[in-house]
Amino acid sequence: MINNDSTEPRPDFISIRNFSFFYGKKQALFDISMDIPERQVTAFIGPSGCGKSTLLRNLNRMNDLIDDIHHEGDIVIHNKSIYDPHIEVISLRKRVGMVFQKSNPFPKSIYENVVYPLRVAGQNKKSILDETVERSLKGAALWDEAKDRLHESALSLSGGQMQRLCIARAIANRPEILLMDEPCSALDPIATVKVEELIRELKEEFTIVIVTHNMQQATRCSDRTAFFYLGKLIELDDTQKLFSNPASKQTEDYITGRFG
Amino acid sequence: MEPKRHILTSFESALENLRKDVLMMSSLFQRSLENARKGLFDRDEDWCNTVIVDDEEIDSLEIQVDTEGMEIMLRYHPVASDLRNVISAMKTSVNIERAADQAVGIARRARKLCAVQAIPDSSRIQPMFQHTMAMFADAMKAYADGDPALSETLKPRDKELDEMNRNFAESITSLMPTNPDSIRGMLELIFVARCLERIGDLAKNIAEDTIYAVSVKDIRHTNQAQPR
Repeated sequence: MINNDSTEPRPDFISIRNFSFFYGKKQALFDISMDIPERQVTAFIGPSGCGKSTLLRNLNRMNDLIDDIHHEGDIVIHNKSIYDPHIEVISLRKRVGMVFQKSNPFPKSIYENVVYPLRVAGQNKKSILDETVERSLKGAALWDEAKDRLHESALSLSGGQMQRLCIARAIANRPEILLMDEPCSALDPIATVKVEELIRELKEEFTIVIVTHNMQQATRCSDRTAFFYLGKLIELDDTQKLFSNPASKQTEDYITGRFG
Repeated sequence: MEPKRHILTSFESALENLRKDVLMMSSLFQRSLENARKGLFDRDEDWCNTVIVDDEEIDSLEIQVDTEGMEIMLRYHPVASDLRNVISAMKTSVNIERAADQAVGIARRARKLCAVQAIPDSSRIQPMFQHTMAMFADAMKAYADGDPALSETLKPRDKELDEMNRNFAESITSLMPTNPDSIRGMLELIFVARCLERIGDLAKNIAEDTIYAVSVKDIRHTNQAQPR
């Protein structure tokens, strides 16, 4: 079981070190250094184009899928560089799950959506799959709503339920880290509240990094918040401190809406 | 440097209106305290009655400030300096309203004093009035200007006012044996001094809230007397 090797959460579970990132010649991230603590929620905020999603997508090397990109510096998870030549990207992505802005269930049953990552890994034992479905749907606070319709199409679920199904799928393989890229931006307020509550619960087991444009969401869900602007990390602090007394004038101007 | 204006102009206006209402409350209170002073020293009941009537307007403004503050929080979810300024405005309005109640207390006692023989040496309370009014004016100037340095001066000045109050009570009490007919009036004057001392406390509270709003430094309950 992941995270059981130590009772004390590591303050530098993810360590981003002098990290710069380039799309071709265009530099998107500039010399970012920050630590992301284990089993806490860290929010990335900032205006569009500030690099927050780019950085998030580097944490599981999703950006590798884009042509003509390169980076400088390093990202270290649990004392090991994710760019280590011995690291397999597939296994990295198993350890670092991701939930996207728009829910993207497969056109399969609820059950098959959740067990998909296990089937891809060659696991077909029914008892394990059943256990995973129940555990993951409970973890994603969807079990009570879905337990009697597991073999119905996932596309029959509501938008909020679909997003929680995607979270269930993301945690089915027991990743260490969960990346969330604006997970509530397409949801109504009630579904948003459910996902936010889920995020608070999931941090007991997972290290969560969430990109959000909704600053109230960052204040409600996260323990720490990082503010980015023009590809630079401007400020990283406890959420309560950053939203009540930011150290940087740029952060203050952004969060109070005096930007631009 | 002037802070940048908010992108949302309605938010900017709401914050500005809140601030203006707090400053209006302060002006009304300062006028009431001056009227109470005139009522006491000119032995004029009309000034005293004016203070009592004007208190209603200050009470209404307190409610208005609360409503506006709540609405800003509800509509705009202020954070950082905006949040601190809204909270500071709401707390300051409470302190002004309480100070205004003390002005009413002074006016009521002054009205009673108008009905009795003039108290010997009652002018000894005059420096306390001046000190209190200057303290309050500076607390509100510091609030309006966001001036923590001026706010910092309020705490020692409040201690001076406490000392003036003690001295005044002692000096008036010492006159009582030789002026038995004026004892009742002298007690009223001691209560007036107590009201001024209380206004000084409230001015100090306003200054503390301003310091927090501007420099996020909480100086409340610091330098308290050591336990015996």
